This record gives sequence, structure tokens and C-alpha cells, in this order.
Amino acid sequence: MAGGKLTMPLAAAAPVQACATPRGRAFRVRGAWLLLLAPIAAFDAILFLTPLGTLVSSSTHNQAYERVLGDPLVIRSLINTLEISAVSTLVTIVIGYLLAWVIWRSSALMRVVLFALVLLPFWTGVLVKNFAWAVLLQDNGLVNGALQGLGLTDHPLTLLHNRFAVVLGMVHYLLPYAVFPIFAALAAIDNRLELAARSLGAGELSVFRRVILPLTVPGVSAAGLLVFIISTGFFITPVVLGGPGDMMIANQIDFYAMELTDFAGASALALALTAIVSVLVAVYQRILRAGGTHEVG
Amino acid sequence: MRSANSRFSPALLAAVPVFVFLVVPTAIVVPMAFNHSRYITFPPDRFSTDAVTGFLTDTAWMSAVLASLQTAGIAVVLAVLLGGSAAVALHGRQFPGRSAVTAVILAPMIVPPVVLALAFYQFFNSVALVGTILPIGLAHAVIATPYAFLTVRASLSGLNPALVRSAQSLGAGTPSVARFVYLPVIRPGLVAGALFAFSVSIDETVIALFLQSPSATTLPVKMFTDIQYNLTPKIAVSSAMLVTVATVGLLVQVFFMLRRRSIARMLPLTAAAADQTG
Repeated sequence: MAGGKLTMPLAAAAPVQACATPRGRAFRVRGAWLLLLAPIAAFDAILFLTPLGTLVSSSTHNQAYERVLGDPLVIRSLINTLEISAVSTLVTIVIGYLLAWVIWRSSALMRVVLFALVLLPFWTGVLVKNFAWAVLLQDNGLVNGALQGLGLTDHPLTLLHNRFAVVLGMVHYLLPYAVFPIFAALAAIDNRLELAARSLGAGELSVFRRVILPLTVPGVSAAGLLVFIISTGFFITPVVLGGPGDMMIANQIDFYAMELTDFAGASALALALTAIVSVLVAVYQRILRAGGTHEVG
Repeated sequence: MRSANSRFSPALLAAVPVFVFLVVPTAIVVPMAFNHSRYITFPPDRFSTDAVTGFLTDTAWMSAVLASLQTAGIAVVLAVLLGGSAAVALHGRQFPGRSAVTAVILAPMIVPPVVLALAFYQFFNSVALVGTILPIGLAHAVIATPYAFLTVRASLSGLNPALVRSAQSLGAGTPSVARFVYLPVIRPGLVAGALFAFSVSIDETVIALFLQSPSATTLPVKMFTDIQYNLTPKIAVSSAMLVTVATVGLLVQVFFMLRRRSIARMLPLTAAAADQTG
């Protein structure tokens, strides 16, 4: 954390300031930073905290929590969310580790190129990516054409509007979020450990399994949790790439609000989702702090 | 230290298709925008600019582009001003409740977009502020501000607060300190913050979907509605436009990565704070 590191020079400079500047001026300067904080305080109070307050008060009407949590459709979308998020996270972490590894093993210039390839989907909006996947995966799309061209199948496979497409779209979206923390964990490893292991006769595989993998476990678990947290909020991808059976919690909130116009129910569900995410974020930050390879918050 | 043969490891071979997988969806939408056929396929059978001219003369799509630009404009200005000033205010300053203040500033990043969308919908209805792009712009400013805060904070991490004190002890007033000490240091952070804010707003769909009205439909909302109904070349054209924006963002970030480390270090930070819309 930047603030933590900077306390020392600040403390050292304070006495100098006390004798060099007149009292009145020091007071004025001290007040100035509060003026800089005032706009965001007012903004967040009115446009972030008040809307969340509206959500909380809305959720207390009509026994919303009992109704929503007893709804089989909600339970279905909850199970969907857990299943889809778990599978997407697992695939993302395995592939993300591979990418981070290759980037880590590359020369300085190659690293920038490979990072750029990972960053391109990071900058591209989710609708563009989902649209492209919908075109690629349709019955007469490029993927089906290639599969038939290679003789792997003689009729178009249904690749769209199912869970496979949702997971594919989500993994594509999530990969950058896994690659960067895992890369950071790899980059923090002392090179000499690997040299020592090799000089003691360890091969490539056992260096990985017994030296590098254990050292990156905190980074990988942090990345996994981050990816899982993002997964639970997906809304667009299940609609565009999924079928009716792939609705996730976010879609259920939308359904309650816009189709059923049950805003109390929608708010209750939204707050339940926020509570789950907040707990996961707290755990995530604990892992990061314990791992010590990251700066956050 | 790495041995020569580790460069041609099986890992690299396995990673090549994954890098292709990452790039392909972004790469194909630009040629698709120039597809002659009325039905959208890849690869295009014949090239033409019909879809582009069709897009540019379609009032519904053009008003969506305009709404998106106005929304992003509001979000960028507010995010940079609010996030930037907050980062400067908190720089090198210890006080009780500091981490709580930081947590509130960053919180919009971790609340799932659909939750914010619902909260904003009910809030803006209760204050009778609907039917224009203003609520969408303000909502986007809320989710974009943490990004600007993080980028400016990252650029400030190299500035020793003692430098500020010594400038003051040499007689520099607050305006001079702001102009000659802070501004040169935070300028790259402001640029990156503006870029992130623009990118967040121009791609954001869920909140804009909840707050939309016939007179305030942003580009992603129009795309989302049309994708469900039919895959048309006009969606490819708007996708190609958004890919252009993404490429600019990418190039700026790569430029920063090559020139100085601070923005590169900021990326995992951005990722760490969780995210926009899926």
C-alpha cells in the first residue's frame, strides 16, 4: 500500500514544516485536502450510498426475503450460478496458469507482445465478444465449418444457446483477470530456487511440481477467487450465448424487477448477492495480504 | 536464468491456440463489418461498405452512438475530477478512518453491476430523474470513478510527500504546489483514468439497460436488444467501432508498459478490484 510506505518521510518532514511555516498557513494547507475530498464524499453519498439505501429499504417490503428464497426458480438460478461459475473458474485458472507461465518464460519484448494479446479482450466490451462468439458458433459458422472440413462431424453441432457457449464466453472474458495475478506470483519467485533445484538433479516437471507450483498457490487461489467473484455477477453472456436453462442470479434479479415488477423481491435477491460477494471479497483481500505479492485497497 | 530448450517447451505449444482463442473474436468483427451479405457470417463472401453506410444513415443507431458519447463524456469528466482529487487528498496522509474512506471510494467496483442497476433504477425513479441520458451518465461516473482514483493514485506512488512540504517551506502556495508539483506527476494517471472511464462507460450494458428510455438508448443497449433478435451486419459495424476504441486503449496501455512501470503495475490492481459487466 502506497500510504503505508509513505508514512516515514511524512513523519520526518513534519517538524520541519512546523518551524518553517507560520501557524495560519499550515492550518490553511491542512484544510485544503479536506476540500479535495468533499466532492467525492458528496457524490458517493448522494449517488452511490443513497441508491443502495433505497435498495435496502425496498427489500424490507412484503416479506421479500422469504418469498424470493423459497422460489424454485431462484434456487435453480442459484445452482446455475454456482455450477457455471465453478466450471468457468476452474478452466480459466488452468488456462490462465499456462499463459502466465509462457509469458513469464518469455524475453522482455515478447512479454509485452503476449501481454498485449491478453489485454486485447480485456479492453474489448462483453457485447462485442459475445456477438463474435455467436457468429463463430452458429450452425453455419466458422467453428462448425472447420469441424466438418476436418471430417470430425458430418452435420452441424449445436454449439450456441447452451451451457458450453456460456462457459466458453465467460472463460474468454475472465482469462486476463487470472493471468495477471498468477504472473505476479510467478515473477515474485527467486530465480535461484530453480537453479538450486536443478543443480540437485530435478527435471523440468519436478521443478514445477515441487518448487514453483507450491510457491504460486497463494497467487492462484487469489486469482481463482477473483475470477469466481466476477463470474457470479454475469448477466449479458447467459442471455446472448446461453439457453433458457442457463439463467444466472443477475438474470433472475432482472426478471423479478422488469417482468414481475416485484421490486421488493428483486432488491432482496440483489442484496443477498451483494452479501455473498462481499464475504468473498473480504476473503480475497485476506489471501492477498497473506500472499504479500500484491497491492490492493 | 532459463535454458535454451525451455523456450520451446510443450507449454508454449499448448499456449499458441489459447492466444489465438483470445484474439480471434476481436479480430473477426472488423472484416464482418464489410460483409456484403445481409446475413452475418465469417469469413465474408464479398466485401462492401453497404453495412457501414447503412449504419451511418440509420437514425436509431446514430442516436445510440450519440447517447453513448454523451454518457461517456459525463462519466469521464466526473470520474477524473472526483477520482483524481480524492487520490491527491489521500496521498501520504494518515488519519483515522482512512481505509474506510478508501473502501467507500472503491466499493462501486465490487458491487455486481446488476445490483447497482436495480439500485439506480429505483433511486432515479424516486427522484423523478428518468428519460434522459443524465442518470446513465451519473451512474457510469459512479462506476468509473474508482478507476480514475486508482490510476491517479498509482501515478502518485512515486511522489514523496516530503517534496510537497519542501515546496511549501520554500514559499510555494497551494496553487503553485498543485501546478508544479502535483500536476506533472499525476498527468499520466489522469490520462489513463480518463481512458479507463471512457472504456467502462462505452461498454457498460446492464445499468444502461435498466435506465434506458426511448430517448436514452446507448450503443451497447441497442446492440444487446438487436443481438437477441437477429445477428445483422449493423451490429458488426458497431462492434468494429468499439474494437477501434479498445485498440486505442490497448495501445496507450502498451505504451505506458514500455515507458514506465506504474501503469503496468496498475493493471492487476484494476483486476483486483473486480469488475464491470459480464
